[in-house]
Amino acid sequence: MSESAAIEYTKVAEIKGPLMIIDGITKASFDELVEIETSDSDRRLGRVLEVGHGKAVVQVFEGTTGLAISGTKAKFLGKTMAMPVSPELLGRVFDGLGRPNDGLPDPIAEKFLDVNGEPMNPERREYPTSFIQTGVSVIDGMLTLVRGQKLPIFSGSGMPHNVLAAQIARQATVVGTKEDFAVVFAAIGVQYSEAQYFKRSLEESGALRRSVLFLNLADDPAIERIITPRVALTVAEYLAFDLGMHVLAILTDMTNYAEALREISAAREEVPGRKGYPGYLYTDLANNYERAGRIRGKNGSVTQVPILSMPADDITHPIPDLTGYITEGQIVLGRDLFRKGVYPPVNVLMSLSRLMKDGVGEGKTRSDHMEVGNQLYDAYSRAQEVRALAEIVGRSGLTGVDLKYLDAGDMFESHFLKQGKDENRGLEETLSRTWDVLSTLPEGELTKIKEKHVRQYYKETK
Amino acid sequence: MSSSSPLERTIDKVLSQKESELISKIDSAYQESLRNLDSSKSKLNSEYLAIIENARKQAENLKRQIVGSSRLSARNNQLILIEDSVRTVFEMVRKRLSSLHKEPDYEKLMKQALLNAFKEMGKNDLSIECNKTDYSLVRKVADSINKEMGTKMVVANKSIDILGGIRVTSSDGTLSYDDSIDSRIERLKPLIRKNIVQVLRGERGRESWSQKVE
Repeated sequence: MSESAAIEYTKVAEIKGPLMIIDGITKASFDELVEIETSDSDRRLGRVLEVGHGKAVVQVFEGTTGLAISGTKAKFLGKTMAMPVSPELLGRVFDGLGRPNDGLPDPIAEKFLDVNGEPMNPERREYPTSFIQTGVSVIDGMLTLVRGQKLPIFSGSGMPHNVLAAQIARQATVVGTKEDFAVVFAAIGVQYSEAQYFKRSLEESGALRRSVLFLNLADDPAIERIITPRVALTVAEYLAFDLGMHVLAILTDMTNYAEALREISAAREEVPGRKGYPGYLYTDLANNYERAGRIRGKNGSVTQVPILSMPADDITHPIPDLTGYITEGQIVLGRDLFRKGVYPPVNVLMSLSRLMKDGVGEGKTRSDHMEVGNQLYDAYSRAQEVRALAEIVGRSGLTGVDLKYLDAGDMFESHFLKQGKDENRGLEETLSRTWDVLSTLPEGELTKIKEKHVRQYYKETK
Repeated sequence: MSSSSPLERTIDKVLSQKESELISKIDSAYQESLRNLDSSKSKLNSEYLAIIENARKQAENLKRQIVGSSRLSARNNQLILIEDSVRTVFEMVRKRLSSLHKEPDYEKLMKQALLNAFKEMGKNDLSIECNKTDYSLVRKVADSINKEMGTKMVVANKSIDILGGIRVTSSDGTLSYDDSIDSRIERLKPLIRKNIVQVLRGERGRESWSQKVE
């Protein structure tokens, strides 16, 4: 923390969208934190985006509404934005810039950490291999989340991604260990009602005391959204690598983050990339997503579940598209299942957890876990084909085996996929349900499962 | 005369047949109701167990929720109390700092502050503001610096309400430099708060004790 006094500049040359251009600058550095004081002593924060030729371009986090060229002062604080961290952050609620939002005082900092984080040494990164139980059958059974993984949820407007996120936050646990588990929840540009839902749901389940919430609401300045995931991930890193906790960081909605990035890029008159997003959208998203992981020799881990709503359910949109390149799989919510009243409406055929194979099996979950997951994919995929066929030829035109697949598909949706919003299913129950579905098929159809597992778990119909 | 005519015998036969039929029906109904009772007993038992298990889960959840929220609210109350104490300490500090001008080194501190302002702002023409008590001292120090370094530092006649230190503005009004004691406290507040809390929690005492032992 800088101890010397800072110079205040009063020569504001221009205010343009979320940016302020200050003239006569003698000393400023890239990404430096700036305190802006309006003529009526209102204080806002900003950061330097560009410096040169005696000018500095400052991005004002709280927006430039109400700022005037005359009477506005900018103080360059000689440091980058830092988040005060301490174990007492658990159970606290902050705004999108990391300021208390729960009526309690500022946290007593054990130390101050740069919100941009420090890149993880690739050599010291440890490959994620340990299972996190979410209590949601479709995730635990088929799209297993692994400690240190980044697994996004691709959703669409109006779909229950936030309900699913809150359910994961409430129920997530590391089974079979006494290691500490924490949830860092960053709400980026969400509605007030949604923010309250998250808060209440964590409070009511008693999970708030192991959670830290950062809430940037839809009516908060869009530019603040650039900082929200960064402060949240800074706290997640502290809890994981300083305090040795296993942290699940849920970032919702990353689409709003990308929109804020586009707003700044447009104000800076940068050459736009796809759909007007800046050309550096990929690197910027990667800067956030790559903060998940494990470090060799340290106990904790940061697991990320970013949520993004795809505009017009378009999976080729730049945000899901670029996210998919960086993350280790994706959970896609399907509109058809949502309309059918299935919760959670996970379209398993478009979803994948790339690290599942390393986090399940003998000694981690159960020896048949990976095999039944694969077999369910196969069976549900075949059921979808049969459904399409049945629409043309009718049920009477289907073979006996086809009819079995049709029933298995229905049972998959009603018995395995569908679950209550407060229903926390253990792994044994989830796997038992997978066998309920698979046991509707003839034994000979279970080609992806070892015979010994079929003998052990296949449920004969009476 | 024979009492039983063929008609009566037939009626008797039908009656006894019906009687045994009815008795067997009653018997089988009785057996069935016993079976039903048995099966519903086990069904009832499993339902009873499920209800108990559900209630146990709910009670556990409720317990977790109550324990969690009361721990959290106790911790939050502690944070509020600590903050109140920190505020009191700061008020006391401010009170003590208001008599800083009586310290023998205060003139040195002022000179250093003015030199820093000159160095940081890189301008010769500077207007200096200070509080009423420090006015003559600041003027004396500014004059000596002007003579030494050829600067044009002017002390404003109008005093400002600060604990001590200076506020400097360039003559064209584009730059200002706040090195008042008030701003120093604000700048260092997060670090000082941590130290105060350590003392309040007795962590500082333990540290120095363990250092002594080592």
